[in-house]
Amino acid sequence: MTSIAEILAQVDRLPAFPASAARLSGLLRDERAGAPEVEQVVRPDPSLTASLLRIANSPYFSPRSRPDTVRQAVALLGMKRTFEVAVSAAMAGMVPARLPGYDLDAKSFWLHCVAVAVLSERLARETGASSPDLLFTAGLLHDIGKLAIATFVERASASILVRTRAGMDFVAAEREVLGVDHTEVGARVAERWKLPAPVAWAARWHHHPTEAPPNVDRPLVDLVHAADSLAISLGLGCDAGEMARTVDPGVWRRLGLQVRRMEKVAGESLDAVRGLAATLDAGRENQG
Amino acid sequence: MSQVTVDISDLRVTGNPDDLLITYALGSCIAVIVHDPKKKVGGMIHYMLPLSEIAPEKARERPAMFADTGIPELFRTMYGMGCDKKDLVVKVAGGGALYDDKGLFSIGKRNYTILRKMFWKAGVIIAAEDVGGAKSRTARLWVGDGRCTIASQGAEVDL
Repeated sequence: MTSIAEILAQVDRLPAFPASAARLSGLLRDERAGAPEVEQVVRPDPSLTASLLRIANSPYFSPRSRPDTVRQAVALLGMKRTFEVAVSAAMAGMVPARLPGYDLDAKSFWLHCVAVAVLSERLARETGASSPDLLFTAGLLHDIGKLAIATFVERASASILVRTRAGMDFVAAEREVLGVDHTEVGARVAERWKLPAPVAWAARWHHHPTEAPPNVDRPLVDLVHAADSLAISLGLGCDAGEMARTVDPGVWRRLGLQVRRMEKVAGESLDAVRGLAATLDAGRENQG
Repeated sequence: MSQVTVDISDLRVTGNPDDLLITYALGSCIAVIVHDPKKKVGGMIHYMLPLSEIAPEKARERPAMFADTGIPELFRTMYGMGCDKKDLVVKVAGGGALYDDKGLFSIGKRNYTILRKMFWKAGVIIAAEDVGGAKSRTARLWVGDGRCTIASQGAEVDL
């Protein structure tokens, strides 16, 4: 029998998040920091620099311009966007070949991550409200808990699947069988990797945004929940849980999004998801 | 035997009896699987959304994304390969749903409703179907003998 402590201890055994990406997270909190500081952090890491520039040049991040240097990327994209690009590059190198328990290979897991990141931003745009801070990164990393909990889910797979096939939500089944689920573990991973608060919020609350405490950016967790539901519905990186997940009714009331508008966003986003996933996949395969 | 994968928002038709048409991860999306046992032609679409009116430009570029533009395109392509409507065996899979008591997220149901309306108008009979539920499905069609299977929740069954 696996104890909760054993699962949480696995968080400490995950590979460390690239130090340069973590240092960028620190720069975000420093109002005086700009392009020279970013360059200083990134330059010693040639693989991150190369990936950062490749991703910064993708049509998704730079539809009109083509930054050649880190300084140009910061000038064109701004500090926050550059950070989001750097985290995407760092994360692409950390996706394991297989996520046991979830029945996912690296490509499908990553496709799902990218789909949720892109759909979160597109849904935000569709609502007309301003986009929450670091929404892309929060969407991209919403499932990081799975990296730590996957082997335990695999061991308990039969007990979990018997529940989901009898009609239980996959996250509820994880929690009932293991005593903890990938959202709680995800918040721990975000903390260990010293990622900004929005990443931890999305990891923790993306299945039940209505239950998030008041200090959490509610529109952010709502959008990631809606994007995750949409991605799973469309089959973008579907896992062993299949469609056994619960739609939080509060989200639709708060965001004011009807199904037709979700469909519009889905139709307009498929090519962007595939294009960006291919760009990021190139980095993942090179580093992996 | 060669495997022909039908991506999301794509349709494929083949007259090679050695081909296996396959599509993965049908959530709320729907696969229409058509087989002509006389001509040994098989076709499959994996459409994502019900109506092209939400993105007419996208529909021109990628008609298989939508039921209302993709399904007619699938049948036209089959007819273009010499198939006769009366010989076609039509099967349907997908249209799943998340747990959604309030029906806020009913893309699967909407995908299925439009298909039924279109088939009713066109006089197309569905020979077999596996739709709805909190399932993700993989559909296969062996063009040579028309065998069709649906894999879901760890089991694969004939449709």
